[in-house]
Amino acid sequence: MHIPDGFIPISQCIVYYVIVIFVGYFAVNWAKNNLDEKQIPLLAVLGAGVFAIMAMNIPIPWGTSGHMIGSPIVSILLGSPFAGFLVMTVVLIIQALAFGDGGVTVLGANIFNMGIIASFLGFYIFKALKPLVHAVPSVFMGSFLAIFITSIACALELFIAGTFPLTAGLVFMGLYHLVIGIFGEGIISTIVYMAINNLRPDLINKKSLDLKREN
Amino acid sequence: MSIKDKKLLIIGLTIAIVIGILAPFFASTNPDGLESTAEKLNPNVLESEPFINSIMPDYNIPGLGETPFSGVIAIFIGIIIVFALAYGIGILLKKRS
Repeated sequence: MHIPDGFIPISQCIVYYVIVIFVGYFAVNWAKNNLDEKQIPLLAVLGAGVFAIMAMNIPIPWGTSGHMIGSPIVSILLGSPFAGFLVMTVVLIIQALAFGDGGVTVLGANIFNMGIIASFLGFYIFKALKPLVHAVPSVFMGSFLAIFITSIACALELFIAGTFPLTAGLVFMGLYHLVIGIFGEGIISTIVYMAINNLRPDLINKKSLDLKREN
Repeated sequence: MSIKDKKLLIIGLTIAIVIGILAPFFASTNPDGLESTAEKLNPNVLESEPFINSIMPDYNIPGLGETPFSGVIAIFIGIIIVFALAYGIGILLKKRS
């Protein structure tokens, strides 16, 4: 869902940059008060893994492809949407500057979508579902709904930008990311959660997720 | 750093690098969801030029062409940069006791 240059007028690009800087201020504060030294290896490894998996586009029907975002599972594992924001911001900056994946003028919009909207949705949907069902289906639903709703937000932004018509934009973006959300984001995030939960359950931030009683 | 943390780093980076090696061979080259939507609804917008010329456009090393080998090297470099940056930001911003 990386928006290229030319899809959003510069005046609107600035708005997204301002929002990202504003959220970035709170993310830095979150890290300075909450980011434990022992979480850093996981943070860095997740960054590397997210970058790699974003290069692996999976085919979906209708001659289209897609890849996961990754910030929802990072937020869930590290216990804050600000963690997802920080990791995704690093990944998106490198993708835009070094690889031309996503434009530079629209970098703020891309961080707004994949770093902010996807992180917060993934984390809070997981947190809301967790008391009702087991953690694993909550990870799946949180990640899947996060990318799906982010694609809806992206379609709305491109409608405001005058680039996509409203209804058709929502239908195509929603339809493609519904499939990517289930077979990409949802399944892969669930596998990652189960793997970390087996390998290093001590690294999953239980305090902020109220998972204490389960283990 | 504990042995458990080193193990996590080695396993995690290995998985990332394996995905990076496989990606240029197996990743779908079809347009992604957003590009595909643009092709159907507003193809003109896809003609827009990038604002800057990136160093490794489309995950390829300039000079090595658009080959899977070129892609593997480019993605490998990206994995290492992202890992180092994320680690550095973690150290820089971590909670001080």
